[in-house]
Amino acid sequence: MDRGKVSVAAPYLPAPVAAPSSELLLDRLGAYWLALGVSDPDQVAALSEQALRRLPDLPETPGIDPVARVIVAAGDLLDDWLARALELPKPSPTLAAARAALLSGAAPDWPAALFAPPGEASILRDALRTAIAEPAPIPSPGAMPAQRIDLFSLLGPLLRLWRPETRA
Amino acid sequence: MTQPAQSPIMGHTLRRAAFFLLVLLTTLVAMGLMVSVFQTNGLSLMELILLLLYAILFSWICMSFWTAFMGFFVILTGRDRWAISRQTYPSSAPAASLPRTAILMPIYNEDSERVFAGLRAIHRSLADTGRLSDFDFFVLSDTRDPDVWVEEELRWQDMVRALDGKGRIFYRNRPENISRKSGNLEDFCIRWGGHYRYMIVLDADSIMKGETLVEMVRIMERHPQVALLQTPPVPINRISLFARILQFAGSLYGRMFTAGLNYWQLGESNYWGHNAILRVQPFLDHCGLPKLPGREPFGGDILSHDFVEAALLRRAGWEVWLAYDLEGSYEEIPPTLIDYAKRDRRWCQGNLQHLRLALSQGFNALSRLHFSMGVMSYLASPLWLLFLIATGVEAYFQTQQEPVYFFGQNWIPVWPVSFAVEMTTVLLVTLTMLFLPKILALTLLLKENRLRRAYGGMLNATLSVVLETVFSVLTAPVLMLFQTKFVLAILMRRAVGWPSQQRGDHETGFREAALTHGMQTLIGVVAGALSYQYVPAFFWWFIPVLLGLVLAIPVSMLSSSIALGRMSREWGLFLTPEETDPPAVLRYLEENLEEDEPVLPVLRAAPSSRFVQALTDPYVNALHLSLLPEREPPGKRRRHYLEGLIHQLEEEGPDSLSAAQKRDLIADPETLLRLHALFWSRSPAGVSSG
Repeated sequence: MDRGKVSVAAPYLPAPVAAPSSELLLDRLGAYWLALGVSDPDQVAALSEQALRRLPDLPETPGIDPVARVIVAAGDLLDDWLARALELPKPSPTLAAARAALLSGAAPDWPAALFAPPGEASILRDALRTAIAEPAPIPSPGAMPAQRIDLFSLLGPLLRLWRPETRA
Repeated sequence: MTQPAQSPIMGHTLRRAAFFLLVLLTTLVAMGLMVSVFQTNGLSLMELILLLLYAILFSWICMSFWTAFMGFFVILTGRDRWAISRQTYPSSAPAASLPRTAILMPIYNEDSERVFAGLRAIHRSLADTGRLSDFDFFVLSDTRDPDVWVEEELRWQDMVRALDGKGRIFYRNRPENISRKSGNLEDFCIRWGGHYRYMIVLDADSIMKGETLVEMVRIMERHPQVALLQTPPVPINRISLFARILQFAGSLYGRMFTAGLNYWQLGESNYWGHNAILRVQPFLDHCGLPKLPGREPFGGDILSHDFVEAALLRRAGWEVWLAYDLEGSYEEIPPTLIDYAKRDRRWCQGNLQHLRLALSQGFNALSRLHFSMGVMSYLASPLWLLFLIATGVEAYFQTQQEPVYFFGQNWIPVWPVSFAVEMTTVLLVTLTMLFLPKILALTLLLKENRLRRAYGGMLNATLSVVLETVFSVLTAPVLMLFQTKFVLAILMRRAVGWPSQQRGDHETGFREAALTHGMQTLIGVVAGALSYQYVPAFFWWFIPVLLGLVLAIPVSMLSSSIALGRMSREWGLFLTPEETDPPAVLRYLEENLEEDEPVLPVLRAAPSSRFVQALTDPYVNALHLSLLPEREPPGKRRRHYLEGLIHQLEEEGPDSLSAAQKRDLIADPETLLRLHALFWSRSPAGVSSG
C-alpha cells in the first residue's frame, strides 16, 4: 500500500478529549446553557455545578466521551426539573415535547422559574402545558381488512372444475 | 333546488343507454365509411389491422366527444335534476352542527413551505365560514428526505403556534412508507379514523375553499348512501406558458367534461385520489387493498389506488359521485412539458395495472369501464403510433400497385374508383370529434357574461382556444412517443429513470430539452424523410405529427418560459377566472407564500441543513425527538450499523452520508440524543447556529 496516498484530511468533528479539564467542561456547559436560553452568568454557573454533580450518577453510555457526558447531564437536569414542574413520570415520552415547548420560547423567563421556590412556577407550568405539542389525537383503532379481488384468469373456470372445493 | 327524482333508476338507465348508443352509432358510421374504402379489393391483413385499431381509437374519441357534448347540453340548459349537489330530501334540513371531519394531506418529500402555506390558506378559508371547529387537519408525511422531514416538523409546529391549532392540526411521519399513498391513508384510518365520520383527502398541492369543504360535508350528510364525493380540481397558480395553456384548457373545457361525466356516470362515478370526501366507515370496511399476485408492473402494491377504492365501494353497494358543479377545488399542475411527462410516467404503471382489474370478478360494469378508461389513457398512445405506422405502410403498398384498366376480355377500361370523399369524410369526422368540444366550450361563454369576462372576453378566449389547439397539436405527438416509451418500458419491466417531479415553476434549458427530446426529433426527421421519399402523398397528411416531433426541443423550451407565460397574461391570453378574480383562498395562499413570517425563530433563517440542525439546535432536537414514534430499542446488528454511521459522521461529515443513512440516524431516539451531546462536546464550527 502506498501510504503517501492515504488521505490525512481533518475529521469533521474534532477528536474527543480523553481527560478534559474542568475549565473545558465548564466552557462547553456554559455554551450549552446559553443555547438553551440561560444567559445570566450566575444561573449558568449554578446550573453547570449541578450538572457536574450529577456525573457520577449518570449511567455509563458506550461511545459517549467525558465532555459529552456533561451535556447529557445538563439535559438530564433540565428533564428532572420539567418532570417535577409538570408532574410527569421520568422517563416519559412527553418530556421531550415539554423540553421542546420550553425551548420554543413559550416560557421566556423559564431560567428564573428554575430557581424559584416550587410553588411559584405555576404560571410557567400552565404556559408549558399549553405549548406542549400534540402531534396526534388519542388512538381510535379500527380494522381495515384487505379485500379479496379475484383476478381474471383463463384457467380459473377449469381450475374450479378440477378442484370442487374452490367452486364456492 | 330540484325535488328528488321519482324514479332515478329509470332515468339513470336512460342517460347511460343514450350515451352508449351514441358512442356505438358514431363508431359504426365511421367504421362503415372505412370498410367501404377498404373492401373494394377485399380486406388485406394490413387493412384489417387498420380497421381494428381505428375502431378502438375512434370509440375512445367518441366517448370523450359525447361526454363533452352531454356536458355542453347540461351547462347550456342549466338542468341536471340528478346532480348530487342539487338533490334534496324532505327530511334533510341543514344541520346546525356538522360531524367531525378530518382534512388529510398526504405528503412525500414535498416543498414544506408550499404545503403549509396551502394548509394555512384552507384553514383561514374555513375560519371565514365559521365552521373551523368541525374540522381537524392531518399532515400525513411519508417523507424520506431527512432535511425535508425536519423542515415539515418545524412548519407544522409553527402553524400550530400561529393558528392556536393544538389538538386540531396534527402531524405524523411514518417510519416505513408501506404501500405508498394508499398505505399512508390506511394508516390514518386504522389509527384515528374512528374519531371521524368523514375524511377529505387532499394532495400536496391541493387548495380548497372553506365553503366548498363545508358543502361537501353537508351533501354527504344529506345522502347517507354516498360513500365518496369527488370534486373536480381546477388547475391553478402556475405561470409558465405551458402551465397557463393547460390551466386555460382545464378550466374552460374541464367543466364541460366533468358535467358530461356526471351526466352518464351519476352514482357510479370514479375517485381521482384527492379533493374528495369519503365516508370513513365504509372506507375502512371495504377499501383495504390487497397486494396483487405476481411481480411488478402488474403485481404487487396497487399503485393507482383511487380507481380501485371507488370500485370496491361500488361493489359493496355504496354510491360514488362527482360533484361537478362544486366550485372552489383547485390543484397545481406540472410547469413544463418534461415535468408533465414525468408525472405521466408515475401514473402510467398504476393505470396499466388496471388491465388485470378490469376483468376481475365482482366489480360493477361501470367500474370496469373506469379501469379500461384508465388503461386507455396510456395505451391509446402506442395504438395511435401503430395506427400511423400501419397507415404509412399501407399507403406505401398502395403506391406500388399498378392500376389495371382492362379485366379479362373487356375492351372498355375500368377506371380506378376514387375514395377521396369517403376518406376525407372519415378524417373530418375524426377531427370534428377531437376539436368540436373546444368550440362547444367556447360557445358556452356566450351564455354567461361574468364567465366570458373572466376568460378575458370572447375575442381573447377565442384566440386562446386557437393557440391552445395549435399547441396541443404540436405536443400530442411528443406525448404520444413519451407514453409509448413508458408503456413499453413498463411491459418490459424496465426503469425509465426519471428523477422526482419538480412542482415549482422552473424553465427547461437546452441541454435538458435536447437530452429528453433529442430522440423524438430524430424520429420525426427520419419518418419525414422516409415518407417524403417513398409515400409523398402521405407525407403531407403526416406533417402535423412530424412538425410536433421535429419542433419538440424548441416547443418544450419556449413553453416552459415564465416570461412568455407572463407576457401571454398581459396580452389577455389563456386567462382563467382564478387568474382574473382570484378567490379568497388563493389570495390567502399567495399572501402566505409572500409574507412568510414564522412564529418560530428557528424558521426565520434557512440553515444549510435541517438534518444538522436537528442534531445541534436544542429546540429542533427536542421537537424532533418528541415526534419520533415509540419503538423497540434497536437490535445488536442495528446498533452496530448506527454506530458505524456515527463514526462516519464524526470523521467525514454529513455530506458523506446518504439521505437514507441520515434518516436512520435521526430516526433513533438514543442516537439522536447521543449525537446532540457529541456535537456540543466537540464544538464544531457553526454548532450554535446549526
